[in-house]
Amino acid sequence: MVGTNPHGQAAETAVAAANVPILELRGLEKRYGATHALKPADLTFARGEIHAIVGENGAGKSTLIKLLTGVITRTSGEVLWEGQPVALATPHEAIEFGINAVHQEVVLCRHLTVAANMFLGDEDVGFGLLRKGEMTRKAQSILEDLGFQLPAHVLLGDLTIGQQQLIATARASIRGTRFLIFDEPTAYLTRTEAAQLFALIRRLKERGVTIVYISHRLEEVFELSDRVSILRDGTLVGTRITAETNETELISLMINRSLEQIYHKEFFPAGDLLLETKNLSGPGFHDVSLSVRAGQIVGLYGLIGAGRSEFVLSLFGRHRKTGGSIFWQGKEVDIRSERQAMDLGIALAPESRRDQGLCINLPVGFNLNLPIFPHITMAGLVPFSADRQRAERQISDLQVKTSGRGALVSSLSGGNQQKIVIGKWLNHGARLFIFDEPTVGVDVGTKAEIYRLLARLLAEGAGIILISSYLPEVYELADELHVFRRGEDVARHAYHAASHEEILSEAIGV
Amino acid sequence: MSTDTKSAAVVRKSSANWLFGLTLLGLLLAMCIVLSLTTKSFMTEANIMNLMRQGSMIAILAVGETFVIITTGIDLSVGAVVGFCTVIAAWLLTHDFSIFATVIITLGVGVAIGMFHGFGIVQMGLPPFIITLATLTSLRGIGLLVTNGATINIVNDTFTEFSRNDFVGLPNLFWMVILVGVPAYIFLHHSRYGRYIFAVGSNMEAARLSGVNVKLTVYLAYTLSSTCAAFVGLLLAARIGVGNAMQADGWELQAIASSVIGGTSLFGAVGSVHGPLIGAFILATINNGANLLNVNSFWQRIITGLLIILIVYFDQLRRRRG
Repeated sequence: MVGTNPHGQAAETAVAAANVPILELRGLEKRYGATHALKPADLTFARGEIHAIVGENGAGKSTLIKLLTGVITRTSGEVLWEGQPVALATPHEAIEFGINAVHQEVVLCRHLTVAANMFLGDEDVGFGLLRKGEMTRKAQSILEDLGFQLPAHVLLGDLTIGQQQLIATARASIRGTRFLIFDEPTAYLTRTEAAQLFALIRRLKERGVTIVYISHRLEEVFELSDRVSILRDGTLVGTRITAETNETELISLMINRSLEQIYHKEFFPAGDLLLETKNLSGPGFHDVSLSVRAGQIVGLYGLIGAGRSEFVLSLFGRHRKTGGSIFWQGKEVDIRSERQAMDLGIALAPESRRDQGLCINLPVGFNLNLPIFPHITMAGLVPFSADRQRAERQISDLQVKTSGRGALVSSLSGGNQQKIVIGKWLNHGARLFIFDEPTVGVDVGTKAEIYRLLARLLAEGAGIILISSYLPEVYELADELHVFRRGEDVARHAYHAASHEEILSEAIGV
Repeated sequence: MSTDTKSAAVVRKSSANWLFGLTLLGLLLAMCIVLSLTTKSFMTEANIMNLMRQGSMIAILAVGETFVIITTGIDLSVGAVVGFCTVIAAWLLTHDFSIFATVIITLGVGVAIGMFHGFGIVQMGLPPFIITLATLTSLRGIGLLVTNGATINIVNDTFTEFSRNDFVGLPNLFWMVILVGVPAYIFLHHSRYGRYIFAVGSNMEAARLSGVNVKLTVYLAYTLSSTCAAFVGLLLAARIGVGNAMQADGWELQAIASSVIGGTSLFGAVGSVHGPLIGAFILATINNGANLLNVNSFWQRIITGLLIILIVYFDQLRRRRG
């Protein structure tokens, strides 16, 4: 580099060194097979700045973090660390540079103490033995110095998720970190915890640490950041100085289409009563009474952990109810197994694709047909032709992008995987469809397809329970909106009968 | 990265490519060709028939074991079940039970052991490793207790001749592999519950939420494994003409090795019926060949271990690219 530089003057390079961005991305690009997760992006991060990154789910934020932390390798493009091109191909290399990330889910050891976690991999050792007392004292003084009133000697697992997040941040801050990435850090935090976190972030900034802050919450972006970059569908659409922009501009950059276009809503007359619960209680929820009619979407809104998923899992027979009753088309039923729920005509597309929805290392066709093998089995065997027809019809109906029904689900993009989670229930002839967070991690195009699919199911006489933690989604789609808080159904509203603010405060409980 | 290491990597890749091209069946055939060229006695009728008999029993065990491994489980008890069932069969025959009754009752014992494993795993929540390890030691103990540590001689020529006789030019024992293998293939790859075994192995929760009866599927896999083992117990009793609880020592490991050589993944959801069958005959051929080449039997064990590592390593590489 130096040799090819025509201006070799020492003074100039010294000035340049101070202005050289700590990290620069040139044409950084990532493809997963046919999926273009991140289109070529140019971006610079200055020393000691707080750089926010915003974008919808599936816009490419997590791809960008994984690239920056060396978890995945780029398809093409250059990464410059303090002006020098670097490979940044392994997490180890990223840590060597001082690049760290604090994730939404804490990746520390729950069974070790707070102090042990803070010094994990970097223990204080005397004569080959751990100096536990010394480490606990040190950890405690670091925590106090940061303004966290947390004990260093307790097990990490005994703290709340929010407190664990603070420990994870404290851990990163003592590790010579120069570039720290926060991925939705406040999702599980209380307000006090969030305030402590913000104080820590500002303190790190003063020490010259570059902060990348990823969040859905625009108010945090305006409170904290110096600059903000916007991602949309894998494209870096722009970078703004935070003080010179506003929420409206950011939102329009993030979405670039009006709400009406995304949320495809059709109204159908309410049909016969499909499902009714009376004071239904079970693990994680209690006293829920609601009903679903054909042609209707019942939306369940609430914060994560409000008991919505637990409620629908009990409806589907995964967990036994502990009290109350369920009526299916007017008749009381006791749903004891998933198969029984399916036979009644209930379908559930669960919350987590990876953990609950898919057999990820099995083929697309297998996953699509898994719920209907009993229907297409003849003389104990699954006929090849029925297997193929059903799978291929779903693949073409839903426009699943895959090399064929024999391809493994793990080779598909998140949006296409979600289509499989939903698609496997469409052959089943269900009347009540329960969709738990159907659009998380799905690109905007697929989202629109899913919403049109909901309308199609309603038109065919089905009823839908839609769970979403993204308020605009349930707000625009649900004919009746229920708000859950701590396992209880705390409020219900007809379509557009309450404002976003009202609903949000009911969910939080202020 | 320097150019030296790069070119070395390229060379390694191209030679690996050549190895990937070999299917397992190709490997088996290649071993047979090499052995028939290097030894005089390999390609003789007597030796081939002997090889088939040697491989057959492990092959049947491996098929049963494969059902369990696909569900991400493990069945360590199959060797002990074989030994135990030789005792059961010998005891029944010496107490004037008909051959038909002996076969049915012994297979019934296999079903019962498998159900017990299912009970331990599903109802008691024990890890498969533990429950099958427990039956491994207990069954040997029960077998020794029943026989008081002695060997029961079987005096029933019709029964013992079965393992020695041939049918249409192939050993009866090899026909038994086909008798088990063909239905097992149809079951695993073309029936509903065969697919459920894969689904449970891939993601138990997703399978459950798709209406799969996970408990029944687990019961089924372990019952099939133990029943295959009981069947092998009958074949072994016939072959050696005795019932002895300490027979088939270490066969569970050979069954697992055959299954894994045949491409079954210990992480579940990957496996077939034909793979383990070929795997079992590869192992048998390695042993047979080493004998013919006069390799010290201590070395044979070491070589077998190394070959298992090599074969599975290359198979995994091939899969990762595929």
